[in-house]
Formats: sequence, structure tokens, C-alpha cells
Amino acid sequence: MIRKISSYIILLIFIFPIFFLISSSFKNNKDLFALPPKLFFFDIDFSAYERVFGFSNFFKFDPSYSELFLTSRIIDSLIIGLGSSSLTLIIGIYAGYYISRVNFKFKRYLIISILSARMMPLISIAIPIYFVYEKINLLDTYIGIIFVHTFINLPLAVLLLKSFFDEVPKQIDENAYIDGASKIEILHKLVVPCAKSGIAVTFILSLIFSWTEFICALMIGQMKVKTIPVQASILKTIPSWDMMAAFTTISIIPLFILILMVKKHFVRGLTLGTVKE
Amino acid sequence: MTSQKSYSLPSFMNSDSSLPWLLPLITMLIVFAIIPFFYNIYLSFHEFVPAKRALLFVGWDNWIRLFTDGVFWGSLKVSLYYTFMCLVIQLVLGMGIALLIDSDDPGFGIIRSLLTLTLVIPPAIAGMIFLIMEDANYGLIPWLLKSIGLIGPEDTILADPTLALWGVMIVDIWQWTPFMVLILVAGLRSLPSEPFESAVIDGARPFQVFRRLTLPMLHKVIAVAVLIRGIDLWRMVDYVFVLTSGGPGTATYTLSLYSWQRFTFVQWGYGATISLFSLIVILIVGNAFIHFAKVKW
Repeated sequence: MIRKISSYIILLIFIFPIFFLISSSFKNNKDLFALPPKLFFFDIDFSAYERVFGFSNFFKFDPSYSELFLTSRIIDSLIIGLGSSSLTLIIGIYAGYYISRVNFKFKRYLIISILSARMMPLISIAIPIYFVYEKINLLDTYIGIIFVHTFINLPLAVLLLKSFFDEVPKQIDENAYIDGASKIEILHKLVVPCAKSGIAVTFILSLIFSWTEFICALMIGQMKVKTIPVQASILKTIPSWDMMAAFTTISIIPLFILILMVKKHFVRGLTLGTVKE
Repeated sequence: MTSQKSYSLPSFMNSDSSLPWLLPLITMLIVFAIIPFFYNIYLSFHEFVPAKRALLFVGWDNWIRLFTDGVFWGSLKVSLYYTFMCLVIQLVLGMGIALLIDSDDPGFGIIRSLLTLTLVIPPAIAGMIFLIMEDANYGLIPWLLKSIGLIGPEDTILADPTLALWGVMIVDIWQWTPFMVLILVAGLRSLPSEPFESAVIDGARPFQVFRRLTLPMLHKVIAVAVLIRGIDLWRMVDYVFVLTSGGPGTATYTLSLYSWQRFTFVQWGYGATISLFSLIVILIVGNAFIHFAKVKW
């Protein structure tokens, strides 16, 4: 019993900052900075949400004070997240399947390179890519950030998908091969359906890590394209704190739902497929 | 044969050559890892000269500057301290919590699923939450610390050169201790129960069981957790960017942040040199760790 109570206390400590953020988004400016903090009994105030969605000045159209930009930041993050995780998945499925099934000469070196890619400090990618993108006009575009995020998520996707494909019995492949199916048909018709849940997990994890990535999105997105973390870091001054709380609450609730959907495989994803739950 | 048609891909994909399968992956690795690596080397021998508005060859100047720059050594120290301290604290705390919640009771299942929530918050936003919670005037944490008398009434956290780094580390510890907990719990739950039962019958004390049975059986899981967490701690930039931007003074510059800051000051060559240094360190240490800890993929 003591064990259970102490576990729940620890859980509360870890959940508290999230609760603090979400409750802040419903507070008015007076309660927001009250000390001791008003955690439960405060006047619920939706004005921050109204401003995030641009309702408050929707009718008195004033371009100099348009806050509609916050919703467009969520759309930016969605385009980049969905684009890069789809691309990651397509590349990862073929590479992961091949690494899982075939013993080729440089396999060990390929895995080492994939892990080394995972180790790279993002700033050491971002600086050179900034100059390359500047030359080929990819700065401040969706496609530019999508490619970088795809690269960042590829080590996770390839190794995780490999571990899921490893679990599909090789017997299936061999039987189909004897029946005259080509490798690509085996992958599409047999192996992918068998590893459906693994593929879904990979997609969701790539989406989450693209959604949360900061420094590359900051350097490559400039004016037109800003992801949620970049926009949030701009709102860091005290006066816009309630808006920033409302804005980030909207942007992390979908992630909570996604992660609770895949919680069974989450540890496996975090450890690039090595630790199974 | 309609289903056959829907899968009509270019015939080269049917070949037994490895190339078509791995080509996209290898292209991505070359474009975003190999090319940046060599571009960083190129940049580290060049520097933007404002008077001529051009990137000029400067020889070893950037490297000489790197090894004589006090701020660089300071940021290296911060990076090492940050990585090491966070890793140890997260591992110890994580192991403790993991042992506590390793149970079949359904109540603990809820704890395990809710602990995942901190991990999906964008680090920059986690930094924002703590920026407000650590604010000198309105913050919850300074208020708590003041009311129990740990810091004086005029003290601040993020503006204090000695406390600022801990103000950043607390965010990392908050957000990523659950990472360790979840991995270690998964490891603990996959252990066979027989050795533990026989140890209890033989009268082993709980600490002996932990030391002699749990730790050795978990070493692989611990190694993976330390590797991945270590990599991410070393390249961390979001928290310091949001919380302190390296300040006060240069007290919380990490290598990545210092590199970014030099880049924004149009010292492109020097910024690239710092990031290249940080990259080489992690490649050597990381791969040596994988080799010696025998982590297998």
C-alpha cells in the first residue's frame, strides 16, 4: 500500500508541470501569476483560446495585430510532420526489410553508419544544410524541413522496422518465394500486413519526433514556415504567457492521444528496437 | 490478375541486387550526414570576413582559436557536466522508480502509461513551462524554495551563475527520467522469475538480490538506455536556448548552443568548427561505447 501511494505521489510530481501548463491556459491574467498558485479554484477564462484561434479580432480585421498566425503554425507542423513521417516510412520499410532478411557484405557497417547518424548533434547538420539549402532555394520551405526531419527520423524508423520485420517468420517469405513471388511482392502482400502494428508505431513515433524537433526547424524555417516549438519559443515573454499556454496545450493534446495509442511499443521505439516490452 | 497489376513497380525493384532497396536510405545518409560532415570540415578552414563580405580561406585559424578560446572550454565543461550529471541522476532515479512500479497490479499499469506523457512534450515547450515556473517574480519553484528557506528572498535561479545550470538540468531530469523508468521497467518485467524466487528461498537480502541478480541481468538494457540518453544529452540545445540563451554571461553555454550563437553572429567558420568538434567527440565516444558495452542491433 505504501508502495502504491508513493508511486502515485511520484506520478503526480511528473504530471504536475503538464497540469500547470494546461490549467494556465484557462486562467485570467490575475490568477496566472498568483502566489501561492491557484491550482484548482480559478475563474475559467477562454480568452487565450479565442486569441489563438483569432476569434477576438476576427471581425475587426486589423492586419497589424493578426493572431491568426498561430493556427497556421499548427498547420505548418502538421504538413511537416505528416510529410516527413510518410517519407521516413517509405524509405524505412524497404531498407528495414532488406536489412532484416538479407545478409550482405557491408551490413555491419551500414548499421554502424545508421547509428552514427543518430548520434550527430543536430547543429552540425543544420549549419551545412543551411548553406546548401541557401544555394538551391530550399530555405524556408516545407520540403526543406521535411527532408531534414526525414533524415533525423530514419535511424529510428529503419532499426525499429527491422526489429518488427525480424518477428515475421522467415518461413512465410520462403514459402511464397517457392511459389514464384518476387521479393517486392512478398514484402507488399505478406510482410507489411503482418507487421501492420509495427509500421503504425513507427509512423506515430516519427510524427512525434518531427513535431518536437526544434533547432533544425528554427534554422531552416525563417519567416513563412515555423513549427510549433519555434513559434512557442518566440512567445516566451511574460505578457503572452496565457496565449503560449493555450497554443501549446492545443499542440500537445494530439500527441498525448497518439502516445497512449502506442504505449505498448513506445519503449521499443525509444530504444531503436532493442528493448521489447 | 488485377492484384498483380496494382503492385506493378519498376522491374529493377525485383532484382536481387541490394542497391534499389537501400538506395533511398544511403542517399539520405550521404546527403544529410556525409556531405554536412565534409562541408563542416570545409567551413572550419574558412571564415566570413565582413569587410570583404565573403567566405575566405583562413587555414588553421579557427582550430587555433578553438583551443585558445576560454568560452569554448567553458562550454565544453558545461556540456560534459550536464551530460554526466543528468545521466547519473536520471539513471539512479529511474532505477529507483522502476523498482518501485515494477508490479503486476493494474494500478501500476496506469502509472506506466501516464509517465509516457512527459516524453512527447516538445523540449522547447517543456523549457517554456519551467521558464515560467522558475521566473524570479512569479515563479512557483523560487517561491517554494524561498518559503522553505533554501534560497534567500532576493535570490533567483536562472539569473544566478551557479544555479542557472541546475535550473536547466531540472527540466531535463523532469522530462527524461520517465524515459529511463520506462526502459528499465520493460527490462525488469522481461526478466525470468525463477532466479529471484530461489534467491529469496536461499535467504538473500533485497540489496544482494539487486546487486548480484538484477543489475547483471539488466546490463544490456541499461547500456542501451545510457547510450541513447547520453547522445541526446550531449546534443541538447532546446532547454538552454529557451531558458537562459547561455546566460547569465556564458555560464550555461553548451557546445551546441555556443556553435549556434557563433553562427548567428556570422562567424560561420568558427560555429562550424565548434559543431564539428562536438560531432567528432560523440562519434568516437558513442561508437566506442557500442563496441565495449557490446550493444547489439
